[in-house]
Amino acid sequence: MESISEKFYDAFVKNDRWMYITNGLKNTVIITAFALIIGVVLGVIAAIVKVSYAKKTKKGVGLSIANAIVTIYLTLIRGTPTVVQLMIMYFVIWKSGAPVAVAIVSFGINSGAYLAETFRSGIQSVGRGQEEAGRSLGLSYGQTMRKIILPQAFKNVAPAVFNEFITLLKETSIAGYVGIQDLTKGGDIIRSQTYDATTPLLLVAAIYLVIVIGLTQILRVIERRYAVSDQR
Amino acid sequence: MISVKNLHKTFHNSKGANEVLKGIDAEIKDGEKVVIIGPSGSGKSTFLRCMNLLETPTEGEIWFDGKKINDPKVNVDEVRAQMGMVFQQFNLFPNMTVRENITLAPVMLKKMTKDEADDKAMKLLKRVGLEDKSESYPGQLSGGQQQRIAIVRALAMNPKMMLFDEPTSALDPEMVGEVLNVMKELAEEGMTMAVVTHEMAFAKEVANRVFFVDYGKILEENTPEEFFNNPQHPRAKDFLSKIL
Repeated sequence: MESISEKFYDAFVKNDRWMYITNGLKNTVIITAFALIIGVVLGVIAAIVKVSYAKKTKKGVGLSIANAIVTIYLTLIRGTPTVVQLMIMYFVIWKSGAPVAVAIVSFGINSGAYLAETFRSGIQSVGRGQEEAGRSLGLSYGQTMRKIILPQAFKNVAPAVFNEFITLLKETSIAGYVGIQDLTKGGDIIRSQTYDATTPLLLVAAIYLVIVIGLTQILRVIERRYAVSDQR
Repeated sequence: MISVKNLHKTFHNSKGANEVLKGIDAEIKDGEKVVIIGPSGSGKSTFLRCMNLLETPTEGEIWFDGKKINDPKVNVDEVRAQMGMVFQQFNLFPNMTVRENITLAPVMLKKMTKDEADDKAMKLLKRVGLEDKSESYPGQLSGGQQQRIAIVRALAMNPKMMLFDEPTSALDPEMVGEVLNVMKELAEEGMTMAVVTHEMAFAKEVANRVFFVDYGKILEENTPEEFFNNPQHPRAKDFLSKIL
């Protein structure tokens, strides 16, 4: 039996194998961060379309079309596995794309569909009186949304968005399906080279865990800062 | 200032149609203070909310400052910017300080620069005795304080007219006075006001005219003296006998 230090040496030091982990982690972080940005943007837009459509008594053609597009978007994305979406994006829709860019777009579109529901419930959690107060001052629907409703909605859904962030981080571990060397794939490559699965995979798991714990701490800080206006 | 002609409002829901306003005609002149009273469910709040188009009339016309405002061509936001509204539930923005609540609309709509709006906010806060609360958040204030700030927020837009929708109904009894006092001062300064309220003493003291609303119509329109001492409509007599 090899000692633990020998296993560690083989897995990470020999042949600079640690670089599989660091380069993989870099890709994981890049994909997660940019996909989240795309997801939040798409999610907010989809949520506003849904809320506006549900509320307006006179529905314009543009809004009706937008609502139909959003409905199809949510149905397709939430009705199919993320890994299949990623493979379709890479092998069918955007064949010429750089793998990481394809993954960012694919995960972003995926996240947006889940965040849409989150933001919708967040917008609806802000009382109707807030909108009426904004409109009664002469602000337009858009201005009221941007300055009054959305900031409060974001605050209400911050924990849910962070959960989506954490889910997304872990979900990017399927990026290896389209040949991206993310953190998970990096650990797997080391496994295939050293025939030792335990050491690299446990380290990979530990890195995900540490990031998630770190994100959770950040969420606590954000919530505490938001809580300033709740002081009584 | 504002005149309402044959105003109808029907709400549609899953149970069908509910006609809340069944033809209201009314006029409020420049500088006049009108108090709208009536039992709950009578349509008095809906009537008030139609005046600044928070509710869209189903039928009829609303004229404000010589212009028909319930017209698709009219910019509703511009009309509302000239009409302040105070709500039963205050509806201050909880994520903003008192000063931000007051200055948001004037600055955003480019009525004032940020400095001008800050100045105006402080002046108005002083008037209602809350200048030390400018950096507080609404959640840190009492209901009476919040409602006074809601009035200030509306006044910061320099409105031509103020609408009050049961401004004291959500307040603890000992805070009603402080809000009514601000409203009385405002009335003395000549502000045009339409007030939906259950505060009969306020109506007697401040109103030029009283509208008694029930069944979606103005059943009686009278001076406060006449209305409270010698009501004409049987429904008004009945209502007053129950509350006075």
